[in-house]
Amino acid sequence: MSRFTELSCMFSHMKKHIEVDGDGRSAMLRALACTAGFAMVLTGCSGTGDAGSSETDTGSSAASTTSSGDSSDVVALAEAFAATLDDDQIAELNQDYTFENAAAWSNFPQALLTGGGPGGGTARVGLATSTLSDEQWTALEELLAGVTGAEENEGFDEIMQHLEADDYLADNGGGDDYGRGNFYIAFLGEPTDDGTWELQFGGHHLALANTYTDGELAGATPSFRGIEPMDEVEVGGDTVMPEQQERTAFAELLGSFDDNQLAAAELPESYGDILLGPGTDWAFPQEQEGIAASELSDDQKDLLIAAIDRYVGDIDADNAERILAQYEDELDDTHIAYAGDATMESTGAYVRIDGPSVWIEFSMQGGIVLDGAHPHAVWRDKNNDYGGLSS
Amino acid sequence: MREKIFRAALAVLAAGAAALLAPAPASAHVVPSTTIELDVHDDHVTAQLTLPATDLTTASGIAVPEGALEGATATAIETYIEDHFAVTTAGEAWQVEVHDAATARTEQWGTGEFPAVTATATLTPPSGVSPRAFSLAYDAIIHQVVTADIFVILRSDVLDDGSSSAATAEVSAAGSTTSNSETGQPAGATSARNLGTITLDTRTGTVAPLDVDLDADEGGAHGFAGMFRHGMSHIAEGTDHQLFLLTLLLPAPLLAAGRHWGAVSPTARAAWRITGITVAFTIGHSVTLALGTLGLPVPRQPVEAWIAVSILTAAVHAVRPLFPGREALVAGGFGLVHGMAFSMTLSALELSGTELALNLLGFNLGIEVMQLLVVLVVLPPLVVLARTRAYTALRVLAATLTAVAATGWLLDRVGVPNPVGLAADTLGAASPWIAVALWTWAVTALVAARVRRPGEVARGDQAALPST
Repeated sequence: MSRFTELSCMFSHMKKHIEVDGDGRSAMLRALACTAGFAMVLTGCSGTGDAGSSETDTGSSAASTTSSGDSSDVVALAEAFAATLDDDQIAELNQDYTFENAAAWSNFPQALLTGGGPGGGTARVGLATSTLSDEQWTALEELLAGVTGAEENEGFDEIMQHLEADDYLADNGGGDDYGRGNFYIAFLGEPTDDGTWELQFGGHHLALANTYTDGELAGATPSFRGIEPMDEVEVGGDTVMPEQQERTAFAELLGSFDDNQLAAAELPESYGDILLGPGTDWAFPQEQEGIAASELSDDQKDLLIAAIDRYVGDIDADNAERILAQYEDELDDTHIAYAGDATMESTGAYVRIDGPSVWIEFSMQGGIVLDGAHPHAVWRDKNNDYGGLSS
Repeated sequence: MREKIFRAALAVLAAGAAALLAPAPASAHVVPSTTIELDVHDDHVTAQLTLPATDLTTASGIAVPEGALEGATATAIETYIEDHFAVTTAGEAWQVEVHDAATARTEQWGTGEFPAVTATATLTPPSGVSPRAFSLAYDAIIHQVVTADIFVILRSDVLDDGSSSAATAEVSAAGSTTSNSETGQPAGATSARNLGTITLDTRTGTVAPLDVDLDADEGGAHGFAGMFRHGMSHIAEGTDHQLFLLTLLLPAPLLAAGRHWGAVSPTARAAWRITGITVAFTIGHSVTLALGTLGLPVPRQPVEAWIAVSILTAAVHAVRPLFPGREALVAGGFGLVHGMAFSMTLSALELSGTELALNLLGFNLGIEVMQLLVVLVVLPPLVVLARTRAYTALRVLAATLTAVAATGWLLDRVGVPNPVGLAADTLGAASPWIAVALWTWAVTALVAARVRRPGEVARGDQAALPST
């Protein structure tokens, strides 16, 4: 952890210098760092080479902080990815910018949505990753890295671990419906700095939904993260534990509560899942429940912010900083509520962060492919889900 | 509600429809859910309940053993469910009795086997209240485990002839309308269809009752399109309305000669007369349909009886001219009566404003379109056959049968049930065959005439064929 932190800091400092320079040399440096970073990411995450040690991952993730998350860069990366595709793939990739398409995400594997059941839900739209060549995968990962955070086990690294986790499920009883080939990438509307479009990526237990309007990130939610296996596993030499930090952050927050605070935060009901999963859009509870953050000590508030940052930090650093600052401003009016086991270890454990804007839920539930509890979690924004698109 | 719909679909599969559907992924798993499977009988409903044991314990505090339930535990579970189960019609409570609680290991599509509790509920409406439309307020488990889903499924219906599950129940829950027509019908089972899902309204934290109406219109919704279809089926299935119009049209191709029907009238004149009768009937019933829907009181029994009288009158007129040349006037007058009957369908929905206007327009247009189709199907062979010797026999036979049916209905509708009235109700099923027979006969007659006197039939307007 400490080594990773140092590296991370080093690279983020480097990034600041580069940005200050603002000349041709900086662009070249940035490109160089990016390229080096991606080379390492790929060797680290492909699961084929010996080079994929966690230290290599650390370096690569940190290096990718040089992606800015600026809309113009995102559009360029999106276009670069599209340029690697053939016409049939392009036709799948480009989808209409509609609420129906935007809302077509799920925690289920795609096969469960298309499995032939009567009215079996609407499947994800977009291009299946099973069609991608190595070169196309590389371009996709560059695009994803460009819109995500660079911290270990978060952001881009988290998504890469999700893909590995699903490969693990495929190999351990899940079968063909699981694995990295069952994810979908879609551009809802044409990537542009002059208008609105959404970058959508998702699959089993994962949904990324970045909406860009006139060159700004207008919304980074709904952002779904669930995971199975929850317990740390090794896949191709990589350590896969993408949601342990989230669980730990909630456990530390609730663990800091005294008995009165716990009593105030505890919900009377029981939760088997999150409330606002796929399809339950713009349906935020009218009343906040639990304890207001204004009742917390400064240290406890820091733990709350850290827990929120586990989700907001999944997006690129600049936008994450901006959004987190807004959530911090609204912190005193933000409520924390939980049910079940406050250590967030066992089935039935549930925690919710409900602010004027932020909405985060985390729910531990029974194993599906594997034994043992696994989490579902969603980060939503009460104003900016889908960039504000509601119909 | 994508996931909800998806899981609802899974529950339907669990109800027994799985066999016909594409194979599920071997590894598919979902959360065990409560299912309520309804068997609708003449005067009551039974509900087969399946509750996931873990959730039941969480919500009720009642420990569910692995093996058989002891009497006291079974009673506690039955009481718990009764406390969370209310059925009402227009605010009037049904009797809800839960019995036969037992443990089971069960499997819903993709869940794997899980421990469950099953029980049967007998739901009995108050005396005189139909068991086919009710509000189902059920919050066992979900009052505590707020993320639970409760799938309500129609397993069997005493009125379902098994031919289809086309009639889709109208279901609304939590402020939204969810309707789902389920066509999977495993051999030997009645159609199971999803009536809706009881879920938490996340905005308010409340659980709304599920409104079930087993006889709601196809499409599950009212509105213009639904009512248009409803209007069409109202005529298609409303034997009495069809019969009145067709019987009135029976002598339309003929000219009255004193107290008898005489020569064939020129086709153009017959066409005008047919159009006039049809339009007058349309105007008449449109007026009272609108008035009745808007609130004009409609006495059901007298209206039904007057419809029978209208058919009887038309039948007598078809044999002996009662009001030659004034058919349109009569059609318009009796149209007023038929329109009152139409309006009862709409006023039962208690609509208002734009919704009312759209429904009224849709329903009326549906009626007109279907009526026009019936006229277009039946009139051409009649016009042709009017030029044959046999037409008199056909006209008199049809009119007599109609008169018998109308008399049966009239007696029935003034309170004298009789087998003729009952038999007449089933006439509608034969109407497509009657149309086919008429066309076949007419075409045969045309061909025969052409063979005998080529050229004359082709001139059309001349009374080429011998007539009575």
